[in-house]
Amino acid sequence: MKKRKAFIIAFILPCVLSLLIMYLYPIVRTVIMSFFGIESVTSDISEWSFNGIDNYIKLFESPTFQRAMTNMLLIWLVGGIIVLAFALLFAVILTSGIRFKKFFRAAIYLPNIISAVALATMWIQYIYNQDYGMLNQILEALGLEGKRWLGTDMKFWSMLVAFSFGAVGYYMLIFISGIERIPEDLYEAATIDGANKIQQFGSLTLPLLRGIFKTNITFWSVNCITFFLWSKMFSPISTETSTIVPVVYLYDIVFGTQGNAQRDAGAGAAVGVTLAVFVAIIYFVMNKLLKDDDLEF
Amino acid sequence: MSKKNKVVYKEKINWKKEASLLPGYLIVLIWIAFTAAFLIWILAASLSTSREIFSGAVFKFASGFHFDNYARAWQSSNVSVFFANSLLYSVVTCTVVVLIAAPAAYVLSRFGFVGNKPIRACLILAMSIPEVMIIMPIYSLTAQYHIRGRILLMVLYIFIRVPFTTTYLLNFFASLSKSYEEAAAIDGCTPAKTFWKIMLPLVQPALVTVTIFNFLSVWNEFFLALIFATSTDMAPVGVGLLQIVNGMKYTSDYGGLFAAVIIVFLPTFLLYIFLSEKIIAGVTGGGVKG
Repeated sequence: MKKRKAFIIAFILPCVLSLLIMYLYPIVRTVIMSFFGIESVTSDISEWSFNGIDNYIKLFESPTFQRAMTNMLLIWLVGGIIVLAFALLFAVILTSGIRFKKFFRAAIYLPNIISAVALATMWIQYIYNQDYGMLNQILEALGLEGKRWLGTDMKFWSMLVAFSFGAVGYYMLIFISGIERIPEDLYEAATIDGANKIQQFGSLTLPLLRGIFKTNITFWSVNCITFFLWSKMFSPISTETSTIVPVVYLYDIVFGTQGNAQRDAGAGAAVGVTLAVFVAIIYFVMNKLLKDDDLEF
Repeated sequence: MSKKNKVVYKEKINWKKEASLLPGYLIVLIWIAFTAAFLIWILAASLSTSREIFSGAVFKFASGFHFDNYARAWQSSNVSVFFANSLLYSVVTCTVVVLIAAPAAYVLSRFGFVGNKPIRACLILAMSIPEVMIIMPIYSLTAQYHIRGRILLMVLYIFIRVPFTTTYLLNFFASLSKSYEEAAAIDGCTPAKTFWKIMLPLVQPALVTVTIFNFLSVWNEFFLALIFATSTDMAPVGVGLLQIVNGMKYTSDYGGLFAAVIIVFLPTFLLYIFLSEKIIAGVTGGGVKG
């Protein structure tokens, strides 16, 4: 019996240690940090000064952070509608008995396995390029004038489109797995009852995909809350208000290398906690909704 | 016989049915054509001079194929360093993660003990914690003890992949029959030996899938590398590519830039060509984000 115990401990210990070092300790410390005034992230605990909830108040009053939150919400709402609409459209097309389904599916998912930095570079340096870029070439071929896609006024939307393009494939795969789980005989019964394809989609596929929608919305929300890379790529050297998001804001005030950015690790921790609370709320709400109508089929 | 009939039936093209699917084909084909068009353009641009790129003549190859773009990117733009770093990080992480996660997944799925359920719950919780919640204390802790460089990044990558890998493997161990262990115990095999010699080889397909996901994730990792790779010589491909892009306004070497993009893109793309079915099955089958 003792031997068995030693065996279990030896096997589980490295995993538990990694949880403690990588998650438990940092999370607890970040939460504590968010209530203290801390200038540099490397400051010793003796230099911390208790701030109460001042970090949070200052944060939500900061125009830059408000802008970052607005941008995040826009990405979530507009990007979410675009991405989930395209993902559902492709999922329905690919499950409609189309040929070369596996190839199409793999091709649409492809951007998800490419380094996002490489993908963003392709969009910025080619598709959106003002001189030789794909979009302006197409516009010129149609006799229209090229646009400055990366100008301040267009940049946010250009970023959103590029990001959404890469994201569609992932959500499409989840929709496909949901649609394929709907039993074929339900559709046969609907066909016998005289329902056409569009009626079948509206009153059969969509309601039965409710659970899948919730999964996708959860993943999408978490994805938007932790949005960072695309914003960094679209304004790589100095952060611009047009593309700023909360994680970029955190990065700037904690690790920022620019001379003018005021360092504030306490506020950075408050951003982290705020975002983690958002994630927790999303999971909680989605779980609650999911439990309310557990579908069996 | 019936199977053969089915195959013959399938091969016959039902034109009426295909015609009704035409809009679907069109939409998907336009999307894929767009993807293919810009990937091919970038491949062509990586073999052209900056002048050709700006004059919009990348497909003419008027001055031949410029493979020197690749040589330049590889050497003077340091892509060789970034590439070697990413390879090192990915290979070490994939190996060590399995050594930590597989034994843990095994005991969690096969043995009841105090803390089993809480550990499982913590693993799932850990997967949903945003990285911004953990980076600051780790940054100050490692700075305090002067832990830095490649070792630090590798340790972080290993730790961050443990929850996903353990949870993924758990279900596969749980599905194995108890009779393997019973037979091994009768033959006098210790539990540890039973695991390494019998149980681990049985979950090999799951190990392959989870390793592919870990590899892709580490190869494409950006956020941690941006914070913890403090110098060029320890940067992986993502951060390295950002440095090249930022240096563009001094070098204006567009051919070299696109060559660097292709070099970064190629390993995961090749992996995908051979393993796309397995990767796609893993995304939906795992039920958790990789």
